[in-house]
Amino acid sequence: MLLPGRTASTLLAACRRALLIALATLLACSATALPVRAETYEPITGSGSTWSQNAIDQWRKNVKANYNMTVNFEGVGSSVGRTQFIANQVDFAISEIPFQKTVAAGAQTSERPEEGTYAYMPIVAGGTAFMYNLKINGKRVTNLRLSGQTITKIFTGVITKWNDPAIKADNPGLVMPNRTITPVVRADGSGTSAQFSMWMSKRHGALWNAFCAKVGWKTPCGLTSQYPAPAGFKAQNGSLGVAGYVSQSYGEGAITYVEYSYALKSGFPVAKVLNEAGYYVEPTASSVAVALIKAEINPNPRSADYLTQILDKVYANKDPRTYPLSSYSYMILPTKVRPGGTFTESKGKTLGAFGTYFLCEGQQQADQLGYSPLPMNLVLAGAEQIKRIPGVGNVAVNINKCNNPTFKPGESPSQNQLAKTAPQPRSCDKVGPTQCTTGTAGARQDTPVTTPTQGRSVDTSTSDAGAGPADGNASNEQVPQDQAVDPTAFDADGVPLSGSARSSGTAVASPFELASSEGWSSTQTLMAIAGVLVLGLVAGPPLLARRLRRSGAPSTTASRSGASGGQ
Amino acid sequence: MTTTLRSAQGGLSGPSRVEKRRRLVSARDLPDMLFRGYAWSTGIIVVAIMIAVGVFLALRAGQALQVAGWSFFTEQVWEPDAGRFGIVAVLFGTLLIALIAGVVSVPLAVGTALFISEVASGRFQRTLISLVDLMAAVPSVVFGLWGVFFLTAEVIPVSRWLATWFGWFPLFRVDGFDPTDPLAGANLFTSSPLIAGLVVAFMVVPIQTSVMREAFSQAPAGEREGAYALGATRWGMITAVVLPFGKGGMIGGTMLGLGRALGETIAVYMIISPVFEVQWQPLHTNGNSVSALIANRYGEASPIGLSALMAAGLALFLITLVVNFTASTIVSRSRSGAESEV
Repeated sequence: MLLPGRTASTLLAACRRALLIALATLLACSATALPVRAETYEPITGSGSTWSQNAIDQWRKNVKANYNMTVNFEGVGSSVGRTQFIANQVDFAISEIPFQKTVAAGAQTSERPEEGTYAYMPIVAGGTAFMYNLKINGKRVTNLRLSGQTITKIFTGVITKWNDPAIKADNPGLVMPNRTITPVVRADGSGTSAQFSMWMSKRHGALWNAFCAKVGWKTPCGLTSQYPAPAGFKAQNGSLGVAGYVSQSYGEGAITYVEYSYALKSGFPVAKVLNEAGYYVEPTASSVAVALIKAEINPNPRSADYLTQILDKVYANKDPRTYPLSSYSYMILPTKVRPGGTFTESKGKTLGAFGTYFLCEGQQQADQLGYSPLPMNLVLAGAEQIKRIPGVGNVAVNINKCNNPTFKPGESPSQNQLAKTAPQPRSCDKVGPTQCTTGTAGARQDTPVTTPTQGRSVDTSTSDAGAGPADGNASNEQVPQDQAVDPTAFDADGVPLSGSARSSGTAVASPFELASSEGWSSTQTLMAIAGVLVLGLVAGPPLLARRLRRSGAPSTTASRSGASGGQ
Repeated sequence: MTTTLRSAQGGLSGPSRVEKRRRLVSARDLPDMLFRGYAWSTGIIVVAIMIAVGVFLALRAGQALQVAGWSFFTEQVWEPDAGRFGIVAVLFGTLLIALIAGVVSVPLAVGTALFISEVASGRFQRTLISLVDLMAAVPSVVFGLWGVFFLTAEVIPVSRWLATWFGWFPLFRVDGFDPTDPLAGANLFTSSPLIAGLVVAFMVVPIQTSVMREAFSQAPAGEREGAYALGATRWGMITAVVLPFGKGGMIGGTMLGLGRALGETIAVYMIISPVFEVQWQPLHTNGNSVSALIANRYGEASPIGLSALMAAGLALFLITLVVNFTASTIVSRSRSGAESEV
């Protein structure tokens, strides 16, 4: 290490001398002193999704540092990304959804990219999470659970209060406050809105169509990139905008849909969402990976929609580890150099190198950033898509040196290591009277819950005594995982039937209603009197003085008015 | 004047009794011609650009206006791709924000301008002048960030107080707000036209202040001294001399500020939560403005969507034009304005 250092310093000294002599010598010298770069890359520019922007920004930073490759990306929303790609203004676009036949629900216009000029390539997977800002008695809630139906009702304006019976039923361990829910939606055209509304239209079609009818759209309406914001909703721009709103102090009571990484970044919790197997699951990398095993990917390489996703089976995935709102994000690649556009063959080389980087190495950071790495089959398919970029040269993904956490060298493409090793959900996350206390996403601190202690004499219990929680378990500790917790009896809403008496394990205060003090009371009277007094104090003296002066000395008034008239 | 003219004329044309008006002919040498040409052409270019902008907007807006027809002025929704869009809510939001901005900024600007021109003096005065000019140079995105991350949280308690105690007054009403509910969130008061208006007010104060200060400082010294000599206090002098003299400047500054408030984009775009219905409660969350709408939607707009945005832009262009023309007319007719033209 010493020797190269010394040679470098002598070289540097030589450079200094050379600087004094001539500029040309300096240039030659610095060329030898700096590490020789194997490749030079022309900068490329893309725009689109803010859903996957956190991952892309990290990759951009990495390729800049390691390969001196400049990749510009503007997170302006998937809709803008697609529009700019069609208009030839960017080299690539990132979007959650493919080009749309109808740009918005009820719209007649469509996005018409030129045939054969584009291809889709999945870049990363992730979960559309529900980040919220809620406090109970001044303490942040971090373990909220919501069923799909409840979420749909919140974002269609059917449920407006946090203490709605449906939310209470999802969260038996929380004493929900009587606070108004503020759904925060995207104001710009967004792929996140599209993914979320597609899930709602497929899973809770009646509620979603009723909402569409309410805002004046034709029903049945499918997905929309432009989420409507009726009264009581709040619309913000970009993922950062909605996440930023929710994380403000005044955002208490707000909930939004945004990629999981934004909740991690802002230090806020996300709601665990109920899956088909009856478990409330957080959108971690592994639960997204498990869910997406059921994703139907368009397998026809000749189709323009090759590799695009159909998520119906993901939504209905019966695996208990599934996060239902999981999806892939896509890069829209140019497959042709179009005249008048920004994309050139030399840029194709950069784009190809960037693509091969994030399909393999880049996926390592996905988990940590709040995304889920791509499985092997999509990495292989993505590598094939990269080859279609003009000017890409001889790029190949070495699948054995890929370093992608979802597979090891020599494995079958259909396997996903991450899904295989994904932990089973804990029993306290199952639908029932127990609720985990552990936090989610960026807020890992516990939230105490009221633990139901089931009476031994509950007649509805048909199972043996061992199925119940341990005796005297009055602490807020969740039930050990190996112990199968089977709820005794629930009504249709999932609320425990009477007989399972609740007792507060920790000092959890419960909200109570104050007698409302509406109408005119002594406070208002005093305020009115105070107001009149202040007015009198301000306006009284001058008025009184004028009156006194006028009546006392008419001659001075005359002279005064004469003087003022002369002005 | 007349006598000298007559004698000069008499010398030239003999004893003619008819008094002809002498024609004034200026000798046009080259520099004069060059300057005239330069001045004329720049003037024409500026006007031509304005007309071109208007014509361009009108042409591009044509498609959308044909689709929407008269409903463009009544519809409270913005879905150009579905053929339903109207300007009324957006325009109303724009005017509401500009009005709030005006109500806040004008007294502030008048006070500041009077203080700088009449009270402060010497180095202190010069510092204040450059400070105000510096404030005008702050980019609007900075004001927007400040509004989102600082001002919003500070304004909420004020809004809440107003809505609680003066909610019976239509201006301060907030629908859905229940003062007796201790858990009523702040969400009803965020992103309101009031907050957007306040931020815009702070942005237009500098320009208003400098126009007004200019006008006030030109109040004739003789009249000021006269007022003092008649025994006026400083305040008396200001009300009797400076304010009447600077009335044109005050109106002009107000209108100029209003013009800028109408067109302000980024700060409003960052603060407001856009809705497309007429939302007339200044304290209530949600609102919209034409320029924020354009900034929000132009990137993803389809051809018809872009045309609709052009139509919205045209409406804003015409309103701003009217405001600015009114302002300049008033300024030029006023005494101080006329004086400043010399």
